Amino acid sequence: MSEALKVSVGMSTCNMAAGSEALFQTLEKEVPDAELSIMGCLGQCHAEPQIRVTASDGQDYLYHSVNPAKLKKIISDHLQGGTPVDAWLFDGSKGSGAELMQKQQRIVLRNCGEVNPENIEEYLSRGGYAALEKVLKESDPAAVCETVLASGLRGRGGAGFPTGLKWKFALAEDKPKKYVVCNADEGDPGAFMDRSTLESDPHAVLEGMAIQAFATGANEGYIYCRAEYPLAIARLEIAIAQAEAKGLLGKNILGTDFCLDLHIKAGAGAFVCGEETALMASIEGERGMPRLRPPFPAQSGLFGKPTTINNVETLASVPWVIGNGAEAYSAIGTEKSKGTKVFALAGKIKRGGLVEVPMGITLREVVEEVGGGTGSHRKVKAVQMGGPSGGCIPESLLDTRIDYDEVSSTGAIMGSGGMIVLDDTTCMVDVARYFLDFTQKESCGKCTFCRIGTRRMLEVLTRICEGNGVPEDIQTLEELAVQIKDTSLCGLGQTAPNPVLTTLRYFREEYEEHINDKKCRAGKCKALCGFEIADNCTGCTVCARKCPVDAITGVVKGMHLIDQDKCIQCGVCRDVCKFDAVKVI
Amino acid sequence: MSKLTFTLNGKPAEASAGETILDAAKAAGFFIPTFCHREDLKPFASCFVCAVEVEGRRSLVPSCSTEVAEGMVVNTENERVKGARKTCLDLLLSDHVGDCLGPCMTSCPAGIDIPGFVSHIAKGEDQESLKLIVDNMPLAGCLGRVCTRPCEEACRRQLVEEPIAICQLKRFAADQAIANGEEVEPAKLPGIGKKVAVVGAGPSGLAAAHFLLMFGIDCTVFDAHEAPGGMIRYGIPSYRLPRDIIDGEVAVIEKLGAEFKYNTRLGQDITLEQLREEYDAVFLGLGAQKASGMRTPGEDLPGVESGIEFLGKVSRDETLPIGNNVIVVGGGNTAIDAARTALRMGADEVTLVYRRAREQMPAWAEEIDAALDEGVKLQTLAAPVKIEQAGDQLEMTCIRMELGEPDASGRRRPMPVEGSEFTMTVDNIIAAIGQNVDATMAPGLELTSWGSIDANEQTGQTSVEDVFSGGDCVTGADIAVNAVAAGRRAAFAINQFLQGEAVVGDPKGYNHSMGALDEVPADVPAAFEKNNRVPMPHLDAGQRAKTFEEVETGFTEELARAEAARCMECGCRDAHECSLRDFATRYDARADRFGGDRREYRRDDSHAVLVYEEHKCIQCGTCVRVCDELLKSPCLGFAGRGFEARIKPALDRAMVLIGDEDLPSLAEYCPVGALTLKTDPVATLEPEAFLNTKED
Repeated sequence: MSEALKVSVGMSTCNMAAGSEALFQTLEKEVPDAELSIMGCLGQCHAEPQIRVTASDGQDYLYHSVNPAKLKKIISDHLQGGTPVDAWLFDGSKGSGAELMQKQQRIVLRNCGEVNPENIEEYLSRGGYAALEKVLKESDPAAVCETVLASGLRGRGGAGFPTGLKWKFALAEDKPKKYVVCNADEGDPGAFMDRSTLESDPHAVLEGMAIQAFATGANEGYIYCRAEYPLAIARLEIAIAQAEAKGLLGKNILGTDFCLDLHIKAGAGAFVCGEETALMASIEGERGMPRLRPPFPAQSGLFGKPTTINNVETLASVPWVIGNGAEAYSAIGTEKSKGTKVFALAGKIKRGGLVEVPMGITLREVVEEVGGGTGSHRKVKAVQMGGPSGGCIPESLLDTRIDYDEVSSTGAIMGSGGMIVLDDTTCMVDVARYFLDFTQKESCGKCTFCRIGTRRMLEVLTRICEGNGVPEDIQTLEELAVQIKDTSLCGLGQTAPNPVLTTLRYFREEYEEHINDKKCRAGKCKALCGFEIADNCTGCTVCARKCPVDAITGVVKGMHLIDQDKCIQCGVCRDVCKFDAVKVI
Repeated sequence: MSKLTFTLNGKPAEASAGETILDAAKAAGFFIPTFCHREDLKPFASCFVCAVEVEGRRSLVPSCSTEVAEGMVVNTENERVKGARKTCLDLLLSDHVGDCLGPCMTSCPAGIDIPGFVSHIAKGEDQESLKLIVDNMPLAGCLGRVCTRPCEEACRRQLVEEPIAICQLKRFAADQAIANGEEVEPAKLPGIGKKVAVVGAGPSGLAAAHFLLMFGIDCTVFDAHEAPGGMIRYGIPSYRLPRDIIDGEVAVIEKLGAEFKYNTRLGQDITLEQLREEYDAVFLGLGAQKASGMRTPGEDLPGVESGIEFLGKVSRDETLPIGNNVIVVGGGNTAIDAARTALRMGADEVTLVYRRAREQMPAWAEEIDAALDEGVKLQTLAAPVKIEQAGDQLEMTCIRMELGEPDASGRRRPMPVEGSEFTMTVDNIIAAIGQNVDATMAPGLELTSWGSIDANEQTGQTSVEDVFSGGDCVTGADIAVNAVAAGRRAAFAINQFLQGEAVVGDPKGYNHSMGALDEVPADVPAAFEKNNRVPMPHLDAGQRAKTFEEVETGFTEELARAEAARCMECGCRDAHECSLRDFATRYDARADRFGGDRREYRRDDSHAVLVYEEHKCIQCGTCVRVCDELLKSPCLGFAGRGFEARIKPALDRAMVLIGDEDLPSLAEYCPVGALTLKTDPVATLEPEAFLNTKED
């Protein structure tokens, strides 16, 4: 038996889904002497589950993509034998580890995967709650607002409103009762940085909220977290209890007059409840339906009181901004977009997961360097940014910098940070249809254009994808898109047509091909495509074996052939062909 | 209170602090539509039909809940705003299921308030019923006998079993007035000091004269014949339409002030130029009286004549002699009329020769049945080839036909079968092939390529601005009710022309429909129990075939009430107060701009006083807010998301369970017909009917 070790198992939802609970149980049984702990998510979805072994000298060994078989060897070789299994270690200083880490700068995710999220001591040991203590003891609300304003921090929920300015508005309201709200509704499919942050580093958010409340004069707050995030809610509950026990939340925080009661409100999962006025209605027990602004929440928000609403990522940035100063934060980024932004990299990408990069680097750097490109022989066709409200940025514009205004100028939005990489097997009409299907279902149904207009757009897109499009459809889509944006009360309706508008802007020819030539070049729309095998077929037989309807015939090392009468256009043959011999016709 | 100054549609305007754009624009005389905004409710901003442009704002803003700010530049009428408004309405209509007016009413060319008059009959209010009919149809007794009933084809009752006998009920209303000695006295507006010449005393001319007189315009009616009625007198036999019915209804028009000049032929006794000089305007209802030829050798032989000539002659003298053996060529109503008339004249054997099959005969099925019952023989799939004199008789050679591919009219084209000729020897041959327009008596007017008068469909105005026209001379031979409708529209247009107004005819407001019979939700007919149509009493075939006595004897009171009670009362209780219909008319919105899914039909009449028709709801949320803010009772709320979002009683219960005495006010707040009072009648007569507007 070698020296006593600490073993931390990734126990975020993503790690657990990858099988980390079983690893934890094995470790409990097999290595009873080791200090067994949990950690959050490092954002490396492509390499989970992860386990960190900390030697008594403080040296960390991070194992990735651990499975029960690997764990057996790690236990025998490293935990029991004292020899790390080098081949499975993650090394951020060389190779692909370096590619992943070099351009990242972790502020929001500074503690994620580094601390045990259920133990406040670990957060405190890394300087946690120092920023709160600093503002309570050395500053006043107005000065805090100024600091945050000077840092250039903008709302990370998507709209990018200057956080300090929002706080100043609320502070200016001379009312005895004010609220703070943390928007943890994270509704965009594809974005999961808020969940990960809450699961991995809940105290960073709580500390941010305490500073937010102090700066705006609030003494009560709500964390509106979707009920689909049970682990985040559980960890928040633990964190709140621990912070209250330490006098970091609740009455007379750190011995001052400042008090803050925080509540968790579990949302029922309506996308529109991420919209601040709908979110407040939901907390109040009303149907989550947006209302017109003004009045803005800073004047009349939750229960009619001045309210400051910030997103998880924004709040998690706040302690860093206070701790390191506005200048340190504003030194990062572009002229108008400061600091860092977390992206959820997904789609046709080699290293999917959460990455945090400084504002100002290009989309290409994020996709090709940090994310490692598509991970296949296929080329990037476009990047979908901003979730269902966002848009598709074509490959030709990948040199666009990560900056609120520059991204907006492409027609996409920064949004909450969803970044889906698309390759040439993605049909752009189908992508637009997919996102519109989501938003039209999630419309609260209040505004006419959003309720019926998005449905009509979806019907047109569906018709086009099914091969029944008519030339007038493009004009109908454009007219409706512009008018829906023009006449919707909230962000959902105002942005719902974006996926259609950006694909029409950059990939109009694909729409025209669907409608006029009845062809889907990506091989996605079944009514509009077929597949054939080109003469570079090596006769490897993989396609024939994978074809679900046995439509492919051919002998080993001989050219294969697709029986078009049997083919159901599922595209599996193309996906499995290593030689790019399956072509769309 | 301090005043704010701002720019409204390019002009300086004022508003009080806190005043919304909607209110300020309204005060300045601009119309902005809204569904969701109510003065006594908090602003909601859901419908977005009130959206306006504020310069400097990226999106349009809801004017109902945006306050005017100092220096604001607002546009409420530009193309962007109007385009969005129209799209908003197009979208709402695309998801609206219901009828404004019943399909019978909208399919009636004359626009008769059918559910209205039928309902009066059901209640025993026969005089009111007739008054309602005459508002649109001065020839109720005539058309009540001869109309081809497009209304009954559209009648929803046939989804239960059979359509309502609308036409025969109309006749009943007219007959009751005669039986009870009541006189129809249409209201008449004060004279405007203008006079119009109406040429033709047929259905279109009579209708034009009737409505012109009601507008206070003097009329002189000229007709080449010796009596009024045109085609309904000279083309329809008296056993279908007794002459005293025509005379009685013409007498009403005469009593209104029309001067009739018979035996006066245009182009012979008077000219169009003369009339234009002497009168302020002219209406031409010349009909289509020129018979089409058979284009068969021998058709000029004595004993061969056209159906229209034959019926005209008989109508003057029912005792004319006729041979024993008669052939009638043709398959339309005139052919049937000629055949049945020939029987009544004393012919022993009458044979109808038609080149297609019975199913393709354009004549009314009931009339064909009646003819066969009376003994008329049918020789289908045969066409005349030549006619030759055979002693005293005529020998007609026919060829057998077979049906080929469908032609332009969709009917299968008849093709001759080679070598299948056969001959028939008869005394008389009547060719009822069709009629043409002869407009040579009215020179100077532009004609269509068919030779009919080219007139505007909505107004009847011809290429000469003070000459209007309608009926068969414009459309070619057509049904009588279309002629009456054309005469009525022209009267509206002539009145507008003489008053110096825009000549638009009688434009109809937007009408929403659940669609064709096969598009009607199954729940609609399912709410009615089967109860078959009351058959029209008639003389027995044997009894009637030799006399000109009216075949159909008319409903008794008991039968008429029972038949009228079958009416489903299609149409919306709110049609005349409905904001959606009003705005759709104003902005020319259409339900078919966007196809796609629409909401399901869900009618809840479980409540004591309210009916909730979810399929008509436009989700403006007004009722929900009335419940929350005014009634302080959360009885209605939003449920579901996206396109499936609905307003429902709390916890999705039935309306009956939310009962509250204040709830009736919900019906007043609902801007459409989704929430209505059971006591309100289904909307029928247009309140904007011309006399009402004129009296204002």
